[in-house]
Amino acid sequence: MSDTSIEADLTRSANGRIAKERLYHGLLFCCAALTVFVTISIVATLAIDALEFFGRVNPYAFFTGTEWVLRSENPILGILPLVTATLIVTIVSALVAIPVGTAAAVYLSEYASDRMRSVLKPALEILAGIPTVVYGFFALVYLTPWLQGLGLDVSLFNLLSASVMVGIMIIPMVSSISEDAMSAVPDSLRQAGYGLGATKFEVSTKIVIPASISGIFSSYILALSRAIGETMIVVVAGGSRARMFDPSEPFANLLNSGQTMTAAMVQAVTTDLSGGTAGYYSMFAIGLTLFAITFSMNLLSNRIAARYREEYQ
Amino acid sequence: MATTDESTGTWFGADGQVSQLRGLLFKAGCLGATLLALFLVFVFLVYVAIDAIEPGTADPAWWATVATTVAGPAIVLSIYYYRFAPRAGEVAYTALGLPVAATLLAGGVSIVFRHIVSPHEWLALVVASLVAYGALEFHGRARDAGALERVVVGAAVIGLTIVGVPGLVPSLRTLLLSLPVLPMAPLALLGTFVVPIGVGAGWSVRRARESDRAGLIAGGVTVAAAAIGAVAGPVVGVSWTTWLVLTTVVGVPVGLYVERVYRGGKGVSGLALPVALAAGVVVCAVIVETAGFAGPDVWIDWEFLTSAHNRTPREAGIYPALVGSVMMIIVVALAAFPVGVGAAIYLEEYAPTSGLSGSIVELIEINIANLAGVPSVVYGLLGLALFVKVGELRPGIVIVGGLTVSLLILPIIIISAQEAIRAVPDSQRRAAYGIGATRWQTVRTVVLPRAMPGIMTGTILALGRAIGETAPLLMVGVAAVVRISPRSFFGLFSAMPRQLYSWAQLAKPDFYHGVLAAGVLVLLVVLLMMNGTAILLRNKYQRRD
Repeated sequence: MSDTSIEADLTRSANGRIAKERLYHGLLFCCAALTVFVTISIVATLAIDALEFFGRVNPYAFFTGTEWVLRSENPILGILPLVTATLIVTIVSALVAIPVGTAAAVYLSEYASDRMRSVLKPALEILAGIPTVVYGFFALVYLTPWLQGLGLDVSLFNLLSASVMVGIMIIPMVSSISEDAMSAVPDSLRQAGYGLGATKFEVSTKIVIPASISGIFSSYILALSRAIGETMIVVVAGGSRARMFDPSEPFANLLNSGQTMTAAMVQAVTTDLSGGTAGYYSMFAIGLTLFAITFSMNLLSNRIAARYREEYQ
Repeated sequence: MATTDESTGTWFGADGQVSQLRGLLFKAGCLGATLLALFLVFVFLVYVAIDAIEPGTADPAWWATVATTVAGPAIVLSIYYYRFAPRAGEVAYTALGLPVAATLLAGGVSIVFRHIVSPHEWLALVVASLVAYGALEFHGRARDAGALERVVVGAAVIGLTIVGVPGLVPSLRTLLLSLPVLPMAPLALLGTFVVPIGVGAGWSVRRARESDRAGLIAGGVTVAAAAIGAVAGPVVGVSWTTWLVLTTVVGVPVGLYVERVYRGGKGVSGLALPVALAAGVVVCAVIVETAGFAGPDVWIDWEFLTSAHNRTPREAGIYPALVGSVMMIIVVALAAFPVGVGAAIYLEEYAPTSGLSGSIVELIEINIANLAGVPSVVYGLLGLALFVKVGELRPGIVIVGGLTVSLLILPIIIISAQEAIRAVPDSQRRAAYGIGATRWQTVRTVVLPRAMPGIMTGTILALGRAIGETAPLLMVGVAAVVRISPRSFFGLFSAMPRQLYSWAQLAKPDFYHGVLAAGVLVLLVVLLMMNGTAILLRNKYQRRD
């Protein structure tokens, strides 16, 4: 089938062929350029509506306010409670995902036999394919009662089980990117280590991990940016009451409900706020902040990852 | 290391007594961490399954029957394959998974023919597309047209045949639909859906067996089975659409696979597993029916799959959301796949690598990598602003949800397609250029066919992601409860994850541990099948290289 069409194409005149080439070149370029259009329109649409928002709400009050109450009449819009809740979720999920993910990466890259790896890697991939709303359901319906059973005084909606679940969700991300970085370390380095009489443990911890540290860090940054932007787990399991971080009792913050930036956006759009209110526009301001944070984290992570790729290739 | 101990004069470490404890502990810790994550999620999945199936409500005798007729033979066969015939084991699991995956796909296709395109609309669409293709091909051969003329002619032909100009010129497709005499609906579907698939099956058998006769038989059997079933099906109570879809979407792939296994002659005994399981299920059903054992009181049953949301937990179902998800995935696939693959082809095959335009291309690549990490809720805001506020479409309709999710998975498709295209060896491109092929000819006839399995893997994984996305749908205003399935792409819809979220908000124990668990199970089975297919496809393709 394909050789007949090549023959047919070759027998046409050069003029038609060049025109066809230019046409396809142009079409394909448009496809690639569309991605730039997506970025520009994210920034533009968010910025326009965020400006609209800051026309109604004083930016200083927004960024330093310690109370968040969303309603159509006289909303109190201070972003700090949302930011602190987001930070709590990010930190706790990092505490779960970073040790587990790194250890999994070390095992997969250094210790696992081929057979073990061919089972574990697809399993982790399937873990990464579970939708976040399902993770949120796990947290709300199973994890929170377990925590209560362990004697923790958690409320029905709480940040602890939401953040632990976010941590479990980002484990595959940490482990797969870190493992790529560790596998990219040339074998000659490992063999040099063994040649000096080092044990496998010493080679793993003192040679492979330091040599791939930039890749490992880039996986951490990516995973954290994913945790910051995670929506459905915290919406389903974290509750919808914004609370300011209370420094006098740091752990009590975890046991109570809390609202992250993403959860506040969902609340702003799902509660029936009429289109023109400040509460409605607030989600664009939060969205812009979120976009700026995650975009710069991803940029940083890509720069770091690009460095280690150059080092060994 | 090479120092001696002054007091004894022996070499350090020469007796082989380096402590292994620390290393072993470290290894065990790493393995434990890996398994911990998997184990936790596995436990959650077991809980969901228990909640959705409620195994405690069945008679012990029912479980005993299931164990002896279905589970027992399957376990015995699995052990046999594992110990004695690994090749047959692979065949067995593919032969078991393929019908299941194909049946799910058939469910999706039936939904398409029931709710989205009627058989007559499908007929009109196929005929109009054929006419459009023929016209474009004829124009390309008859005239040495410039690029601009080709674009104009292409747009005009597609406009006249498929899209039409609203209010002015009806398209060929609508004209065909308004014809006074149309073939009967089953005949239309037979001609435009079954026959092409039958031809494809025949073609593939013909090529594999290198015999025209075998090809004719394969194609003929497909069409004949579909035609006979369409006539005889209604007599035994199976609607003709169901029968046509089953023979083509389930029958053809399964038949082709069995044919391949027989032709290869390796691991034929693996085919016994699905046969034994099917026979076991039939025997089990007969025994349970005659002895009157009560089965478990499952939440996830036929009624759950085919009814709409209801405030009474036992009557609540997921059907409209299922239809909504299928329609949304069609929009996503149609919008994101061509653009994503096109962008990947441009970046890998056409893009300049040096100079000013080279750095622009580099910027595009960095931008794509970053877009892949933008939170999904931000894409939801973009969809709201772009399609609802600027495009003035109604919030919460299929096309808005689908396009928003397409933007979300576009970078994922581009990145995976780029990887697949990069994996095609350069020697093949050079060979194509060497025999005088142009760049597009090389891409179309050499690069794309080689890269297609990789591209498909990435696309299926991305579509799996699209099915599970909830936050963007919330942002573009997809309604909490939709009781009627959408009738067109401009109708209000709900999707499976959105429906799950509505149930989670109801905060009633019966919904948490019954309806919600059943819904989660449906969503996970669909995703598992998609991801499993993608991973199998990739493994097969990687091994071949």
